[in-house]
Amino acid sequence: MNGHVKSMNFQQFMEQATTLLSLLLVMAVDSTRAVAASRNQQCGNPLQQTLKLSRLIQKESVDLIKTYKASQGEMSDLFCKVSVNNIPDPNISGMEHSKRIVSIYTHLQDFLLHFNRVYDQQTDLQSSTSPLLTELEIVRARSIYLGELINSLYQSLFPNLPVLDPAGRPTTLPPPQNVFQQKVYGCVVLKTYKEFLLNVFQELRTLKKKKLCIRRI
Amino acid sequence: MVCARVLQLLALACLGSALPARVEADYYLMVVPQSPVLEMGTNFTATCVIINTSEVTADDLYWTLAGTTVPKEQYTKINGSALNVTVPITSEKTEWLMCKCKKKTTLFFIHNEGKLIHGIDLKKGYVPGKPENLSCEAVQQKQYISTTFSCEWQTVGSQTATVPTSYTLYTAVLPGSGQPYSVTTQKNRTQVKLGDTFPHYMTLEVWVEAHNKLGKIESEHLKEDSGWFVKTDPPSDVKVFSEKSFPTSLLINWTHLIPTIRLKLTYRIRYRQNGTQNWTPVPLGDTASDIKSFRLQDLQPYQVYEIQVSCKNAKEGHGYWSDWSTIVTKRTPEARPTSKPDLWRVIAEGDGKNERRVQFICKDPVLANGRIVSFDIKIQDPKDKVKNGSLEWKNIPRSSQGKITDLKQIDLADQKSVRVYINATNSVGKSDEASLFILAKARESELAPVEELKVFPHRGQLWLEWKPPNSTKLVSEYVVEWVGGAQIDWQKEKRNTTHTAIKGHLDKFVCYNVSVYPIYSGWIGKPARKEAYLEQGAPLEAPIVRLHKAGRNQATLNWTEISQGSRRGFITNYTIFYTSGTEVHNITVPANTASYTLTSLSGNTKYDTWVKASTIGGSKISFNHSFTTLRYAPGEMEFIVVGVSLGFLFIVVMTMLLCVYKKDVIKENFWPQIPDPGESTIGNWSPDYPLKADTPRENGLSGISVLDMDVCDGKCVFEEDKASLSLKKGKYLSEEHSSGIGGSSCMSSPRQSVSDSDEGGDMADTTASTVQYSSVVPAPPSGYKGQTPNSQPQQALFSRSESTQPLLDCEENPDVLQQEGSRQSQRSPPRPPRFTDGADPAGIAEQQELLEPLDFCPLGEDSEQATPVDGQAADWLPAAAPLSSYMPQLGGYRPQ
Repeated sequence: MNGHVKSMNFQQFMEQATTLLSLLLVMAVDSTRAVAASRNQQCGNPLQQTLKLSRLIQKESVDLIKTYKASQGEMSDLFCKVSVNNIPDPNISGMEHSKRIVSIYTHLQDFLLHFNRVYDQQTDLQSSTSPLLTELEIVRARSIYLGELINSLYQSLFPNLPVLDPAGRPTTLPPPQNVFQQKVYGCVVLKTYKEFLLNVFQELRTLKKKKLCIRRI
Repeated sequence: MVCARVLQLLALACLGSALPARVEADYYLMVVPQSPVLEMGTNFTATCVIINTSEVTADDLYWTLAGTTVPKEQYTKINGSALNVTVPITSEKTEWLMCKCKKKTTLFFIHNEGKLIHGIDLKKGYVPGKPENLSCEAVQQKQYISTTFSCEWQTVGSQTATVPTSYTLYTAVLPGSGQPYSVTTQKNRTQVKLGDTFPHYMTLEVWVEAHNKLGKIESEHLKEDSGWFVKTDPPSDVKVFSEKSFPTSLLINWTHLIPTIRLKLTYRIRYRQNGTQNWTPVPLGDTASDIKSFRLQDLQPYQVYEIQVSCKNAKEGHGYWSDWSTIVTKRTPEARPTSKPDLWRVIAEGDGKNERRVQFICKDPVLANGRIVSFDIKIQDPKDKVKNGSLEWKNIPRSSQGKITDLKQIDLADQKSVRVYINATNSVGKSDEASLFILAKARESELAPVEELKVFPHRGQLWLEWKPPNSTKLVSEYVVEWVGGAQIDWQKEKRNTTHTAIKGHLDKFVCYNVSVYPIYSGWIGKPARKEAYLEQGAPLEAPIVRLHKAGRNQATLNWTEISQGSRRGFITNYTIFYTSGTEVHNITVPANTASYTLTSLSGNTKYDTWVKASTIGGSKISFNHSFTTLRYAPGEMEFIVVGVSLGFLFIVVMTMLLCVYKKDVIKENFWPQIPDPGESTIGNWSPDYPLKADTPRENGLSGISVLDMDVCDGKCVFEEDKASLSLKKGKYLSEEHSSGIGGSSCMSSPRQSVSDSDEGGDMADTTASTVQYSSVVPAPPSGYKGQTPNSQPQQALFSRSESTQPLLDCEENPDVLQQEGSRQSQRSPPRPPRFTDGADPAGIAEQQELLEPLDFCPLGEDSEQATPVDGQAADWLPAAAPLSSYMPQLGGYRPQ
């Protein structure tokens, strides 16, 4: 009888403890979610901004190529079919997200150097009121902002990793070129840059889809 | 405090080591600190240091601020060569704080007076306040957002001209490693250029720093997504389409230059009926998405709508709403009228007796939903309906002028009632029927009117208030009708309405006859009426004043009534002004007066008068009218004339009465009894002496007794008989008023003969008609022919005969008399009177010549002149002329 009573008391105690543990677990999970949501909001905004800006630049780069072709006169299609060496790879490298973001940032800095070269060449080739120059300026400026956003995103996502180096890796710029070479070079840089931007956009969208900010918590 | 003193001493030590080398040669006094900038409301302490001399001590120094000596209570002596002063900074003006040395008579002071003074310029200001309400915007520039970033803020606190506050706007693009863009201004707004492109999807941090010499302070930092600051242009190319199958809908399309990839926009739409003021917004939830078209629904058919569109950043809370696009107007398609036409009637007197002329009029339905082209009307006698059923409809085209259509006019007998039905037609369909009952005239009074109707203007409208009729019947609605001039209009009000405003157009200064008709289930009740003006003004015309009647002290003025169209308000009163040139008097009379009598006027005075007609909106003054009051009051002259006449009449009557009652006395006085010679006894005692034979002798000179008298005697006689000769004045002479026995013929009568030959004819008549009596001078008995004079001397008597008996000669010889009269009339100018008896005139002349030598002096001369004055003498001439012939009788006529 006593043993049965003891068994009953123990059973009641276990039930109460289970209920209490369950309640604590629910509270812990709820608080964790609240923190996750908060952190998601913290890194979500730079990601969202970066995603939108990369998409904007990518769209504007499409228009830029059209404007470029329109401003180069005859055989503009031919310029864009010729291959040129020492142009940065539009593909993003790395297996981890951190490595890929670093790759995006590094490629972006490389492209900016070539982009500046193209802008300088087209400044000599085009009149000062040419819409091409305006669009080149805009894309270049946005690319700088994009680099800042990616850096910010990287720091918010990976605060313990080394800070990105704005100088990037050493890049080989082409030697002095004639006009034809300049036009070919410009078109190839813009085309490659457009592809790169598309890759960036897709990468960022992947990051967004993977809800990196939440998983990291 | 201790710290401050330490710092001050430190400064003095520095001065002691640094300044002397520099200013040694120039000054003996030095004030520190140099060129301070001071905050308003604080206390400032300066020190005056004596350098390079021991001739002057701190006791010799004193301070002046803005030319005024600072009281010694504010001084602090540090040592023998330094003196502090503390002054409060209260004035914003820049002031000079001077350290000076008291005047001394020492040689040193005299030689160095210009070096014993030093001062500093106190610049004052305020610590800058923290700028507030910072706001910035970036506007659209074609398909981009401009890189020009405009900000404005509110400044806080004051600043002075000597210590101005500057504002620096900082804008940082985040994330970023670069320096923020900045620009400095003195104003409260500025612009900054954000690089080569607007930083879409970046964060902008904006703040303002206010700074001056007294410090600096930053505003709150505005850290928002760049899209938060964007203000785009309104949508362009807004178009509105109507579709015939959707009369209550309009489709709106628009575009926007900003690509969605650059900025996602949200839109808002508002619309209103053309001519109205209030816009109806489309709920934002309906237009929140990135749309380029929208369909407005639940609109009124056939109405013109105005539509506008605006946009902003689609992100919630981001961006500013753009301005509204330009207004686009579009009319919705037509639909069938969805309300009844507004039917009414005007009743006037008919041509015949017991007949009314009823004009049916109507307005388009409120919800006409299109252009009404015609009305269908049917007039039905309630009795006929029972007999014949419904009558045919008559189509009447809508009036092309105005909103009221005259449908039909009928002559309706007073005892008859009719019911009228109409509907309205537009291009799509017909409206429901509206109906109206016209009661028999006798029954109209059975339907009670509204009570206590008030009509008054208020805020540019004419308002009505009334109380429902005191009737057991239920009012279904009210009709408010207003008639102004030839214009009639009406509006219908609900059954529970007790006050309303007239919604139709009303003109100012026009008198409206406003009526409220209760409608009892289609039967029109008795109306209540009032006159009212929307706004009253001064009359256009003034009354014309005319004098109706003027008296000596009063005058009645009439003035015309101002025509209804020119009154422009209710005449409140008339004010009559009148003046005689000195003081203007005025009298105010009620509006219903058109005549007034001015009293207390002065007689025979010219008055100017004018009338002012007043309304509550002003007044109009008539032209002057002048009149002159009478010299005499009406009747006053008549009273005088009548009075005088009565007085005269009284005198006449009294005279007549006197004559009547005192006839005997008068007769005795004026016509004494003359004995009739014919009846005298003397005739009896000489019966053989024929009367006829005697007559010529009496008329002739031979019959005249000549009175021999001297001048004195003559005068005496003249004096005695003066009264009896009063009638002989003027041109009438009593030459023939002679006397004489036997000569008392016609010529001896008291007739008045005229000496002027021109009046001889008249004289003849007068003689013939008036000579009836003669004054006979009684002669002494001795004078009578054939009589033996009484030997006894008789007393001189010379009196008139009072006999009224006609002279015998005249009666018996009228021919002789007439001839005598005619001869007299033919006489040439004044000639000495003579008696004619048929004797030879030559003999008379001879006798007269005989008379001339006689001493008859003055009397005879007077008679020749024949003047009225001498007439008295002339009377005596006839008696004197035959003097010689009657010499024998002379003694008989001498007065006794």
